[in-house]
Amino acid sequence: MPRLDRLSELQCNRLITHNVLVYDDAPWVWPAKPVASMRLALVTTAGVHLRGDTPFKGGEQTYRAIPSNAPAKDILLSHSSIGFDRSGVIRDLNLVLPLDRLREMAERGEIGGLGPNHYSFMGAQTKYDRLMDETGPEVGRRLKAEGVDAVLLTGA
Amino acid sequence: MGVIAREIEQAGVATTSISLVREHTEQVKPPRALFVPFPFGYPLGAPEDPDLQLCVIRAALALLERPGGPVLEDFPEDPFAAQDVNLPQASDVAASSRKDDVAFEVTSLRAHYEQWVDGHGGRTTVGLTGVHERKFRGLVRFLEAFARGEEDADMPERPREMSIPQFARYACDDLRAFYFEARLHQKPGADFQDMNRWFWGQTAAGNLLRSVRDRMKATDDPALAGLAFGIAR
Repeated sequence: MPRLDRLSELQCNRLITHNVLVYDDAPWVWPAKPVASMRLALVTTAGVHLRGDTPFKGGEQTYRAIPSNAPAKDILLSHSSIGFDRSGVIRDLNLVLPLDRLREMAERGEIGGLGPNHYSFMGAQTKYDRLMDETGPEVGRRLKAEGVDAVLLTGA
Repeated sequence: MGVIAREIEQAGVATTSISLVREHTEQVKPPRALFVPFPFGYPLGAPEDPDLQLCVIRAALALLERPGGPVLEDFPEDPFAAQDVNLPQASDVAASSRKDDVAFEVTSLRAHYEQWVDGHGGRTTVGLTGVHERKFRGLVRFLEAFARGEEDADMPERPREMSIPQFARYACDDLRAFYFEARLHQKPGADFQDMNRWFWGQTAAGNLLRSVRDRMKATDDPALAGLAFGIAR
């Protein structure tokens, strides 16, 4: 988002009163290799998924896997929030899920490669219980098992 | 998003996040985050701008080589600095006074929609309901009946386990996606202010979505009020 002072009062209030968890520090993994050797995957809270997958409902704390080789035309967006413009993603899926950019970077050797899957969640969450107890750790385990070294997260 | 980054890092995979709300990221503290001053829906900067997208990705990945954290850095460029970044919502735009028939409007936009899809390798973001766009006149009739409160408003494409109001929300999303794709072909230079003002201010479909919202809000069911909020506000 834009800086808060550039938003309408209504939207600004909605953001500053949003239920956000507060932590003093962060978990930390030391990457064992340089970015040029890393296998990367994307995780997004933009509510995207394969055509034919069950669309997201508002507040849903589950995820959808998107195979790394999925073409953009197989991917839809069912985010429940209308707080963001859809025309950007309609023009270019890379705006929230930059699969083409990462594929190009892998071809140039800027990154080591891509994991077999990317993962998508619903955004604009106000509850985090299942994300923390179940689905977040599950996606973490899957990424680890798929040999992914680092994840790039995007929201919408 | 920060919560998910923390869980993935906890599972042993390094993460770097693109943050759109700096104030939230400061509190949740994902391990590494790049704040970008872009509008909601634009985490990579701009559509069809691979250079800017690449710059953002490289800046986010560079954080993976920092010795310790949490790290929260600011992306230095702001291509939206001179623009209004607030998204026009239904309530910000005076509704169209045209009494056009939505089904007629859909028919008149179809050629534009089809050319948009052809020009984008067959990609369309229409498809949540599974109703083919050739049958969108039926989708419109369903939404009109739903908005009038007709109890038997339904479509055969609705999965049995999905509620009718939930299906109506996806129908609204599909209809809006169809209009946006048609409009992007009709007016390629439109920015997001133009697109959203056009939809809410100059189309009969914008008014139909408002009436679907009103029908959902007229009930006492908080779940329906939540759905309504995702259709028009």
